[in-house]
Amino acid sequence: MSAPARAWAWLRRNALPIYAGLAVAYMLIPIAVIAIFSFGATPKGKLTFALDNGFTTEYWRTMFSIPELNDALFTSIRLAFFSTLISTAIGTAMAIALVRHRFHGKRLANLLIVIPMATPEVVIGASLLSMFIYYSFTLGFSTLLIAHVMFSISFVVVVVRSRLIGFDRNLEEAAADLGASPLTTFRTVTLPLLAPGVVAAALLAFALSIDDFVISNFNSGTTVTFPLYVYGVSLRGIPVQVNALATLLFLVAVIAVALVLIQQRRAERMAAVQPEPEGTAPIPLPGTAAAQ
Amino acid sequence: MTSWRQRLVPYWLLGPGLLWLIFFFVVPMYFMGELALYSGSLTTGGFELTWAWSNFPDALSGHGEQIWRSFFYAGTATILALLIGYPLAYAIAFRAGRFKTLMLFAVVAPFFTTYLIRTIAWKTILSDDSPVVSVLQTLSLTPGDGRVLATSGAVIAGLTYNFLPFMILPLYANLERLDLRLVEAAKDLYSSSRVAFLKVTLPLTMPGIVAGVLLTFIPAFGDYINAQLLGGTGQAMIGNVIQSLYLNQRDYPEAAALSFLMMALILAIVLVYIRFAGTEAFMGDEDEERA
Amino acid sequence: MVSRDRQQRGAVSVLAVMVAMVALVLGLAACGGGGGGANDGETTTAEAGPVKGELTISNWPGYIDPGKSGTVAEFEDKTGVKVQYIEDVNDNNSFFGKLQPQLEGGESGGRSIFVVTDWMAQQMHELGYLQEINADDLPTVFENMVSNLRDPSFDPGRKYSIPWQSGMTGIWIDKSKAPEIKSVNDLFDPKYKGKVTFLEEMRDSVPLVMKAEGVDPTEATDADWEKAIEKVKGAADSGQIRSFTGNNYTEDLTAGNIVAAIGWSGDASIIENPNAEWIMPTEGCVLWSDNMVIPVGAPNTAAALGWMEFVYEPKVAADLTEYITYISPVEGVKDLVAPELAKDPLVFPSPKFQENCSTQVSPPDVDKVSEAWANTLTG
Repeated sequence: MSAPARAWAWLRRNALPIYAGLAVAYMLIPIAVIAIFSFGATPKGKLTFALDNGFTTEYWRTMFSIPELNDALFTSIRLAFFSTLISTAIGTAMAIALVRHRFHGKRLANLLIVIPMATPEVVIGASLLSMFIYYSFTLGFSTLLIAHVMFSISFVVVVVRSRLIGFDRNLEEAAADLGASPLTTFRTVTLPLLAPGVVAAALLAFALSIDDFVISNFNSGTTVTFPLYVYGVSLRGIPVQVNALATLLFLVAVIAVALVLIQQRRAERMAAVQPEPEGTAPIPLPGTAAAQ
Repeated sequence: MTSWRQRLVPYWLLGPGLLWLIFFFVVPMYFMGELALYSGSLTTGGFELTWAWSNFPDALSGHGEQIWRSFFYAGTATILALLIGYPLAYAIAFRAGRFKTLMLFAVVAPFFTTYLIRTIAWKTILSDDSPVVSVLQTLSLTPGDGRVLATSGAVIAGLTYNFLPFMILPLYANLERLDLRLVEAAKDLYSSSRVAFLKVTLPLTMPGIVAGVLLTFIPAFGDYINAQLLGGTGQAMIGNVIQSLYLNQRDYPEAAALSFLMMALILAIVLVYIRFAGTEAFMGDEDEERA
Repeated sequence: MVSRDRQQRGAVSVLAVMVAMVALVLGLAACGGGGGGANDGETTTAEAGPVKGELTISNWPGYIDPGKSGTVAEFEDKTGVKVQYIEDVNDNNSFFGKLQPQLEGGESGGRSIFVVTDWMAQQMHELGYLQEINADDLPTVFENMVSNLRDPSFDPGRKYSIPWQSGMTGIWIDKSKAPEIKSVNDLFDPKYKGKVTFLEEMRDSVPLVMKAEGVDPTEATDADWEKAIEKVKGAADSGQIRSFTGNNYTEDLTAGNIVAAIGWSGDASIIENPNAEWIMPTEGCVLWSDNMVIPVGAPNTAAALGWMEFVYEPKVAADLTEYITYISPVEGVKDLVAPELAKDPLVFPSPKFQENCSTQVSPPDVDKVSEAWANTLTG
């Protein structure tokens, strides 16, 4: 094969990874910009997205020097964590019920899932606020949590459901035939197979919560979340530390997952070294990662 | 034989979610619905229930252009997100191997930086004098005025970018399940990757596509912030109108009425789409198959 | 199979009934409560007393000198009051929107002081959401307040609002690109098409346009307002105006996307463009103040009054002005700040500088004009 033909063949074979790589790069462009400008010196310590004043690491060194920023960030992370936990659990349960079981009112339930996604945020935020006031809830972290779980449930249900549809029930039937109770079947067969969908849904719920502005603005009382803080300071100049922190968050998330990966790899390698006692090696289920 | 307790299982599963949505969505919406039938204004003595059904057609009048614009922007953004997101989800599911979860994180991680900072970053990249825009200008990819910001293009780009995870995650959740052996078999049968894709992969991953499209289009339709920060004077979407009605004009009844109309419109579009894409791909009425 | 279906359906009906009952109960409760009335009843006066305890203040961002040597810390040291200072007034309308349900019910969300612009203070007062302030409780304030702020048309005698800072709305220009812009009318010049922005705040942009046409905003009729709005709408539709902004016009100025913007005098510290300059339009500017108000249901009004007294001490006011570079309402600050700052006409404008300026007003029929303006913004 001539060189251009070989190059073309290589391109065709790797079209998908190249395209995917470009897509990921596209997603990360703003992060790169944010990271770069977190090193840009500015006369008043306010973000300017201009590199006229040279580079510095000052904002990374003083990253935690603004108490309001730290509080807001911590509040947001805590909020997102609990919101994700609750909404993923509730949403996964709902998805299972909706796909697996028959009952009247299924269409109504499906509708109820979709409608919150279609409602403009200002309407959800304002109406929730009115209701909270009416029933004398104290505005603060708990009302924020209620609101965040509420708007996350729909998204979790849709994501998990898309995984459940067309799921091969034979595996679960096989487990049942082998004598497993429904709970055991759920635990050892259904849940692991569902896992990627649940993880994807949880990620979405987390992102939704940590980035929410409008609904949080209405229902936060005097609590300040990270987006609320950023919106506030953007009026008079965003401290560059915000950029540094945002970049750090991103890095921490990525590094945390990478560490988990490394840990998994090590565990697998050790398991490979030690001989398995007969008959206890897990049978790779078709279509899952282990089988590839 | 299934026990009575087992038959209650769907209700235990549905219960918490349904109750949460009823208490914290349906009830507030009831308040809003009531509000849509009020008339009056804050400055003239408050609102009261007057069964003002005329609020609904009044809310629509004059806002047709924004509704159409929202449909166009959200639709375009959804299509773009699908074109970018499907191959990416596919690659993560089947080519990333161990790095799957890492890649998924990379997809979602930009959200940790808050919307405002991401958008300011994009505004910097796309500012009128930036090298990126200059390149686009020489390639004649910019509209007449030669700028990217404060145009429809900028709003659509913003929508696409910010809703990509909403498209990728459900796609991935569904794609990951795909049995590649089926695809192999199809390739053998049809002897062409393209046909194998169209006849096997696509139909099998339809539930993921439907989910992704819904999760992207629906919230994008009601979005207001992309138009506010990236758009100019001719890019207002229906979300901006509702925002303005509620906060600037304090015309709560009209805001509520318009919101309900918007929700009804979206639901209608969704129902049409689901019928078109196949209800099974959305509802997955499994037991009907088996029975 | 059949019996299972029937029993399932039976179980379903039970659930359906439960749901219906819940909805009914809630519906009844909702009907009973209704929208509540406007806060009728006499306006209360903020009670004075010993200054102690806790104080929650809602203010605009960047409107105070922060840190251990900042005003809040000084106040806490001096009085022992624990202050929660929240910068959540990003915009008069959004702030109002999220506080309105509580204020309607006589609650302030825990806050003792808001800082809102003149017209919003007036609106809140008319809706009965504010408490009155007794001048006898604020000797320092009324001794040191600058004379031109003592008797504004919206609150004669300052019964419910005390100025925090003042500012001017005028035109920011990029000297290197559009040095010849001198008036708001110049912003309509096709030469600058797509390179100018207006403020989305109706009470900033429209009065300036009216002034440029020779109309006095304080005496303008609804027709005058609507005519000016028509002019702006034409410019927006044709693409002359690039966009309507909050204070993000500063980003566009810094990036060089625009050559001119209607904007606020005190924003110099966030515009990193050495060629940017705030000019006083030939027809004059719009003068506004942000005011401290005490809402209904405010806890610890004594500490709130103490705070107001504190920030009207000239030394404290001077520290504030040095940091935030807006116009101080306190007499005598000019002598206490750094000399270069004292010479800055944007921070210490002379009466001559401001002679053509108008105070910020609302149109006579707010709802009608707001609607016309909203249609311009969301065109």
